Amino acid sequence: MNEAFWGLSGVSWAVMGAALAAIGGGIGSAIGITTISNTASGIVTEDSEKFGRVLPLAAMPGTQGIYGLITAILVMVFFNILGASAEPAIAGETGFKIFLACLPVAALCLVSAIYQGMTAVGAAGMVARRSEDSGKALIFPALVETYAVFALITSILMLSSLASIYPAG
Amino acid sequence: MIWRQAVREPIRYGFAVGRVRVLESRMLSSGTYERLLDAADFTEQKRVLSDSVYGRFLEDAETTDDVERALDAALDDLYAFLESANLPKPVLRFFRVRYDYPNLAGRLKAELLGVPAEELYVDLGSVPVDVITGPPAQLPPFLRGLYRTLSAEGAGVTEEEITAATDRALYADLSASAEASKSPFLAGLAALMADLANVKALLRARMKGLRQPDVARLLIEGGSVPTDDLLALYPQPFDGVTEGLARLPLFAGVSAEQLADTAGLDVLADDLVVRYLRRARRIATGPEPVIGYVMARQAEVIMLRTLLIGRLSGVPSDVLRRRLRQRYEE
Repeated sequence: MNEAFWGLSGVSWAVMGAALAAIGGGIGSAIGITTISNTASGIVTEDSEKFGRVLPLAAMPGTQGIYGLITAILVMVFFNILGASAEPAIAGETGFKIFLACLPVAALCLVSAIYQGMTAVGAAGMVARRSEDSGKALIFPALVETYAVFALITSILMLSSLASIYPAG
Repeated sequence: MIWRQAVREPIRYGFAVGRVRVLESRMLSSGTYERLLDAADFTEQKRVLSDSVYGRFLEDAETTDDVERALDAALDDLYAFLESANLPKPVLRFFRVRYDYPNLAGRLKAELLGVPAEELYVDLGSVPVDVITGPPAQLPPFLRGLYRTLSAEGAGVTEEEITAATDRALYADLSASAEASKSPFLAGLAALMADLANVKALLRARMKGLRQPDVARLLIEGGSVPTDDLLALYPQPFDGVTEGLARLPLFAGVSAEQLADTAGLDVLADDLVVRYLRRARRIATGPEPVIGYVMARQAEVIMLRTLLIGRLSGVPSDVLRRRLRQRYEE
């Protein structure tokens, strides 16, 4: 049951997928938040009343990191890795499929968080010029979020399907 | 590319760009310019500007000299912001060095031709004025060579030749700084400034009827239009020169009649620079918004100088209105 696939056990593949999802989302969010936070700090330096209006923009790229974390937790819960006292029985090929199921979140959250940070910089420029446009400014970075959400849904659907087809022993 | 766009530039310039986005919104509006034009006297103009960034600098100004000093102080404050904006050194140099060469030209004119130079010095350059007017050995290398070359010519050199030589060195320095900054926007700006300086020199020379070899000495390299192309237009009558210039992509949207109005040439040139700078507003992050803002503030100071000194000198409002440039924020 625990045969290797391309030299790695099923659990190794699954953990690698979970780790990649968390890393991809985390790196993307860190870069995206740094990008927008620098600009937001500059805006608040000159006009402290805009803090509340630029804060949602600065927080927005952080969601991809959360999606990565959710994906990693789901892998560990669905396949009994979390809190297991012995290595769960996951076939190497199944583990590889779990790894593949994590890739949408790992890749898309990395890229979309970076681009969301860039879009938020432009949106922050709108807020800096006209505070009353802060509602409109939120929409553009939110559009980038759509694709991170799609990636999360895709990964969850694939992981839950795999969990029902190959329940871990 | 994505790393530069998404990570390096936002981290390097993000803070400055954020500040600039707010500061841009505090630039003088067209309504403020109208009120400055309509103001009955200088005191009322000061009242109009009291809430602007210029208010504290103009507070005690009474004479044209006070206004000059106040606006220079406002520019110095602007450059201090630029230095705190973590921009690359070549970008800072691009703004400061533009005062060094005219200051050196002032010294040379004073020494070689006896021209009173005190009013020509502006202490906003990368080299303090007391160093520029001090012992030649203390001049920085980029000015020392030029100083020695022109000094060696002694009293035989003319005022125009000093201006032409220092301008040539200035534009070469601006081009080199722009290239070193690795900012295509700044490189484009340096080329545009060289082009406009050449066109102004060409048209003014044509009006005076200078000989073509003398005109060739006035033109500087580094523009987007080769100097040979400009010189090829020179033998034509004045109207032919302006028509030839109006066909250049550089003057898209500008008519030959506008170019023929040599009195309005400086205003037209400044408007073209502002038109170029407005591109910076479409760039979310990077050095461009900061450069665009600083240049726009410089243009704002020029307009204020025109309006305030014009009013103090009793220039009519309609004449002042004609001298106004386009605004960056329009």
